[in-house]
This record gives sequence, structure tokens and C-alpha cells, in this order.
Amino acid sequence: MSFHRFLLRRAFMVLPLLIGVVFITFMLVRIGGLDPVGRLAGPTATQAEFDSIRENLGLDQPLWQQFGIYLGNVVQGDLGESWLSNRPVMTDIKERAMISLELLFWGVGIGALIGVPVGLRAAFRPNGKFDQVTRVLSLLGFSIPTYWLALVMIFVFFYLLGWAPPAIGRMSLLVSPPEMITGSYLIDGLLTANWEAAWSSASHLVLPVICLAIVSAAPIIKQTRAIAIEVLASDTVRYAQACGLPEKNVRKLVLRNSAVPVLTFVGTEVTGLVGTMSLIEYVFAWGGLGQYGLNAIISGDFTAVQGYVLVLALFSVLVFVIIDIIVHLIEPRSELN
Amino acid sequence: MKLTGKTLVLSAALALAMSVMSGAAKAETMILASPQAPEGFDGDALKAHTQNVVTQVYENLVAYGTMEVDGITTLNPDDLKPHLAESWTVSEDGKTWVFKLREGVLSPFGNELTADDVEWGWAKSFEQKRTGNFIARVSNVTGVKAISKYEVEFTLSAPSAIFLNALTLYVPGIYDTTEVKKHATEADPWALEWMQSNTAGFGAYHLESLRADDQAVFVANPNYFGGQPYYDRVIYKEIPSEASRVTLLKAGQVQWIDRPSINQVVNMQADPNVKVQRATSRSVAAARMNPSCEVFSDTRVRQAFNYAVDKDALNTAVFAGQADIARSIVSPIIAGSNQEHFAYDFDPEKAKALLAEAGYPDGIAEPVELLYSDAFWHQEPVAIQVADMLKKVGINAVPTRITSSEMRAKAAPAEQSMCFFTWEDGPIVLDAVYSMFLMTHSTGVSNRAKYNNPDLDALIDQGREELDSEKRMALMDEAQKLWAEDAPWILVAYPATFEAMAPNVSGWVYYPDEHERWRELRGD
Repeated sequence: MSFHRFLLRRAFMVLPLLIGVVFITFMLVRIGGLDPVGRLAGPTATQAEFDSIRENLGLDQPLWQQFGIYLGNVVQGDLGESWLSNRPVMTDIKERAMISLELLFWGVGIGALIGVPVGLRAAFRPNGKFDQVTRVLSLLGFSIPTYWLALVMIFVFFYLLGWAPPAIGRMSLLVSPPEMITGSYLIDGLLTANWEAAWSSASHLVLPVICLAIVSAAPIIKQTRAIAIEVLASDTVRYAQACGLPEKNVRKLVLRNSAVPVLTFVGTEVTGLVGTMSLIEYVFAWGGLGQYGLNAIISGDFTAVQGYVLVLALFSVLVFVIIDIIVHLIEPRSELN
Repeated sequence: MKLTGKTLVLSAALALAMSVMSGAAKAETMILASPQAPEGFDGDALKAHTQNVVTQVYENLVAYGTMEVDGITTLNPDDLKPHLAESWTVSEDGKTWVFKLREGVLSPFGNELTADDVEWGWAKSFEQKRTGNFIARVSNVTGVKAISKYEVEFTLSAPSAIFLNALTLYVPGIYDTTEVKKHATEADPWALEWMQSNTAGFGAYHLESLRADDQAVFVANPNYFGGQPYYDRVIYKEIPSEASRVTLLKAGQVQWIDRPSINQVVNMQADPNVKVQRATSRSVAAARMNPSCEVFSDTRVRQAFNYAVDKDALNTAVFAGQADIARSIVSPIIAGSNQEHFAYDFDPEKAKALLAEAGYPDGIAEPVELLYSDAFWHQEPVAIQVADMLKKVGINAVPTRITSSEMRAKAAPAEQSMCFFTWEDGPIVLDAVYSMFLMTHSTGVSNRAKYNNPDLDALIDQGREELDSEKRMALMDEAQKLWAEDAPWILVAYPATFEAMAPNVSGWVYYPDEHERWRELRGD
């Protein structure tokens, strides 16, 4: 299948999925007991004021009508305005997307850089000392609640030891942010030669990235180990070993044959870490998309919640398409389908 | 250069002047960690954390003086001083007030305060029909008109004892209309869109920059008529996690955190790197009974509920012993509060006896739902503990959770459909008549539970128009007594307000709107 046809087919398949996501989030936020009117009206509001706000937001209309209007707007790229801040949800999401992507990139990137080699090494000597130690460590990484881990790291590395900067966001409040180019303070700081901002941004990235790396490395280690053990037991590898190929070459073969499933797993990890990201952003006051989504959910800002979930769904789809393409590049025999 | 006595004196004077100037120009930044960054800057349409910041930007014609009580500076509700106004006169019938504005008051944009600014702000509130309109209604204001550049006239429908108190609030606001009008359009004549992310007041601070859901930066108004504040920059930073906020304060990274929870207060009180200050609050936490519901229609039942609840135990269990036990609906920080009339000390036997008298010799077996929500952190623990205490005298109270917006809707003046629920309310005007009107009058917006006693209404209505302070206090004493006999609420506690700050921060004064004023704070 040609590349263009592949993309077209993917887009076609994604459409009903997205409509489903829009419908489900739309319904869930409305029947979930969230009601922004009380918060908007304020403590002195009379019933008449409540009703007028409800009417202004269109909440007095039947649900199907509200959904129809919303869907029509979404198709035109308009995610609506936040009911609390009155800002366009699209603008808010655009501003925050890069902030979260930066954290996700470093966190999962480092998690994978640690997780894959460790998983492979453990697989080459199953039940060896290294394997046993990493098994315990990855179990720990699995079971530690992210929220708690983040707080403990702040307490130890910032409060007790003073090694890390305070959890006050993406950079020191006393440093002025670099001129906006990509939206990442680190990259923008480097591009504009604003070393102070770049340094401050890098140092503030350390703790949340370590948190995210720990949380993402644990499953990657476990999965890579399982995949590699399976590959080691495969006919190809056993044949290579039987032919007396040197250990180094066998390992290369294992690496090559494990690459596709490992990569696919890392892809699912990226999309699965969204909830974890929200908690990490919350504790570190990161101000990204995760924090935005969490705030929107807590405060019952329907349009923002809907926009957030829709963008996450789109993001997942995008990640899988990219993985498909990379897999195709690594393994040209694989069909793009 | 030859050193003469004259040059020495001159250079010494110059050095002194320079050191004074550099002292004045020293940049002091305060970082304030809050659960949320402000979502709007229009005092008429309060959004999350709007109130915390508009109080720094918009100042009004009148201000409270302060007084020292037990070494703590508090507002003196009886001392109303000119602020943006210089003086005022009132007509004999008490219905027409003319305020003479202070001349030369400048906004950060350099525009001078005029009577038109005052008129415009009130017109905006009347039009929006939100918070400012409510303030106008309770203080009987029907019209505001500029009669000269520096004179503005207020027309009242009837004399009002709380009118001057209302003029201490941030809303109806006084805007720099020269600036605001630049951003008004035909579709948006009050520039409400612009006010979502901008400010233009005559107060000590104004908004410099805003990053939504992240931070708002305020800088001192260089033209402020009251002199330059100590902090020339305040960063209002969103730190959503309370544990992070506390750690940052303990580590000296922020100078102030917004409204800590009671658990964190206890934790921080033991830490020398944090200063925790406390004030008795104006508001009261209570479990309210709706006399229009059958079970609560008998006064003896309501009294029995009060005798069945051990308030001391509640203070210890829920408020970590840090609250003040409530013995009047009017907080003791308000002149005229009488803490004697509400004498329902814990007495389960008396409760049982009263229930028996009211026709419930075996208690109330039919479940009585005690509703609570998460609008105030203490609602849930209070509801659970109160229900437990009521069970001990044979009342089958069942704590039941509903959402805060459902509770607000059910408590709205037009509905008031809940029979029994926990809540907190308090006046933003420190006045006994206002407090009683707000929470006990049949038309008070914070009545919320259909309490209606025509005799009490009459006393309050009389108090609202009585300008003689002594007579008003006597009326309110009578009113508190009457209300205590009716016992429509199980009064629990004045929950206390806590502020946590860096140890070197001083100057905090408790305001009835529960927001500190940054211009009063110092960090030296």
C-alpha cells in the first residue's frame, strides 16, 4: 500500500473513533454531576441569576441540540470557549501542548533509554543477579504512586538536600522567559542565547523528568525483557546459535528482532502516561495540558474538558501513525496497514 | 577638588539622599502561592480568585480604620475614614449623600480620579445585576450621579446604617474610565472582555501580565495616592498542590500561601520558618434546620438538636481546637454581637426531655437526612460528627453528600428546599444589622433554610433605617435573643481565618472579605 493511501485510510478509520470520543465525553461531563453554574453565579446569586447563566451557556436546551451545535463547531476547528475564563479552548490547548510535550519527550525518552538496555540485559541472563535486582526495582517503579513519588522527591532533593530547584513551575519566577519560538523554555532559551533562561529551565526539568522516567521505565524494562526472552527462544535465534554465530552477532539479531514490538510498546506507553503526566504537572505546578485538563475536570468546565479529551484522542492516533511509519522504515517488509 | 566644609556637607547630604532614594527604589518581590491563578478581574462577575486580587486594585471612597486588640492589628468597624473621598455630607432625611473626592488621585495610566469614574462604576454594577448590584440593594442605593468634577451624589431609597460600610468594598468598583472606555465597544460597552485580563483602578497595584492557569504579575501603581508599598511586585503563582505550597513556604521560596487547610496550619505552627497568623472569622459554620419542614416545625425539636450537640468536641475533632465556639449568629468581631443568648450547652438529657415534650418520647426513628457538600472543607466532618451525636439521643440523622452546586441551587432564595444541612456564611460588611439581615431575615439571601419570624424581620427592618448606633445595637440585641430562642441553626463555630507567611512578613490585617491587602505588608 502506498504511503498516501495508508494515511488516507488511517484518517478514514479515525473519523468514527473521534466522533465516538466527542459523543462520549460530551455525555459523560453532562451526566457526571459537574455543574459550573453554581461556581459562575457566586454566593449572592438569586435563582433568577442562576437561570439566566444557565440560559446564556445554552444549558437549558435539550442535550441532543447542545451536542449538535458542539459537533458542528468542532468540525470547523472551534472547540468553544471555556466557561470559566471565556478564552477559546483551542488557544489554551495550543499554548500548553508544547509545555507538556517537552516534559513527555524527556521523561519517556530517558525512561526508554534506561528501560530498553536494562530489559535486554536482564533477558540475556534470566534469573541472574542483574535480572533479579531489576525485577524488584521495576516492580517498585510500577507500584509507587506517582503523586507520592513526586512529593517525596521534592522533599528530599529540594527541601532537605537543596540540590534541585523549587517545584514552582518551568523556570525560576525571577528569570524572565525567553522569546517564544517553539514554546519550550529550554529550546527557546538556547535558540535565543538566553543562557540564564535555558539553564533555569533545564534545572527545573530535572525532577519532573526523573519522576516520569521512573514511572515509564518500569513497564518498559518488564516488557522489553519479556519480548527479548521470546525472541531468544525463537527459531531464528536458535538456528543462529546452532550455526555457532558469535554471541555478539546473536545479540544483534535479538536486538533487531525485538525492535518492532518494543517500539510499539513504547508508543502505547506514551499515550498511556497522560494520567500520570497530569499528576506530575499538578505537583510541580508545571502549567501544561495535563494540569489544564485536571483543573477543567475539577471545576466542571465542560468545554475545556471536551477539548482536552478530544486533543488527547487525536494525540494517541498521531502517535500510533508515527510508530507505524517508523516500524515500516525499520522493517520495510511490514505492510503499512 | 578642594574639600571645604560646604562640599563635605553637600556630599554627605547627597549620599544620604541617594541612600534614601535607593532604599525607596529597592525592588521587593513577593511571591504568593495559590491553588489557582485568578480567572478574571471584574468584581461584579466573581470567578476563581477574582476577589483575592481585585481587592488589591480597586479601592473605594471610604476605608476602615484599624485598632490593636491583644497585640494584633484589626479593622475597627466603628471607624470609617475618608479614602478616595475627602469628606461627605448627608441630607437631613438621610437619603442624599454628597462625596467630595480627593483631588490628584492618579491611576497607573496617569489619569485623574473624577466623579464620572464613580458614576460609571455604579452604573456598570446596576447593569450587570451581579455582586455590585446586590451591595447596592442592601445599602438602599438607587442612583449615583456626578454633580461636578470632584463631587458625586448618592441617592438612597431609605436611610441606611450600612451605606458607608458598603463604600469600603471593592465593588461597585471605581475604575479609571478614561482607560477602560478605550477598550469598550458597541457590543461590550462596559469593556467586560478587556477586564477578563486587565485592570484599571486607583488602588495600590495593577495587573502587569497574566498567563492563564499559571500566574498573574502585579506591580505597584507608581502614582498611588497612599504612597509606595513595600512590595513593588507581587507574583500570584498557581501551585495546585497544597503540599507543594507548604514546602515552598517552609523553604523560603514563596512569602505567602493562600488559605491553608487546618491540617497544614497545625503542621506549620510548629515550624520556625513559617509565621501563621490567626483571626476570629466573621462567618459561622452551622447545621441549619428548615422550620418549614415538618420535623423542624416545633421549636422544642430545634432546641433539642442544639442540646444534643457537643460543640467543644466538634471544635477538637473537626477544627483541631483552633476555631471559636459560636454562641451567636453574629461573629464576636462585629460590634453588637452578644454571646450570652445562645445558651445551648451540651446536655443530652435535656435534649431527650424536649423531644419527649414535642411528641417524640422515643426519639426520631424516621431518617433525617443531614446534607453536606464540598463547598467548605468542614461541611463533611461536621455533618458526620453531628449525626453521630444526634444518634446518641435517639435521632436517626443520616449524613448525605450532594454536589456543591446542587446545594447552592437548593439554598437559593427562591428555593430553600433543604431541611437539614451544614454550611458556612458570613457578612462582608462588619455590621450586626447587616449580618442579621443577610442570614436571618425572611428575605436575606443567606437565610437559605426558610427561617421566617415576622417579629425578628420587624426588628431588623427597624435596625436598617435606624441611624443612632446605640438604638441599633439594642434592637440587634433583642433580635439575637429572639433568634436564639427559635434556635433554627445548630451553631457550631467561627472557623477562624489563618494566613501563613514567611517569618519576616509583617503588617497583616484581617479584612472581612478574608483577603489580605498587599500594600500593608512588609518584608523587613
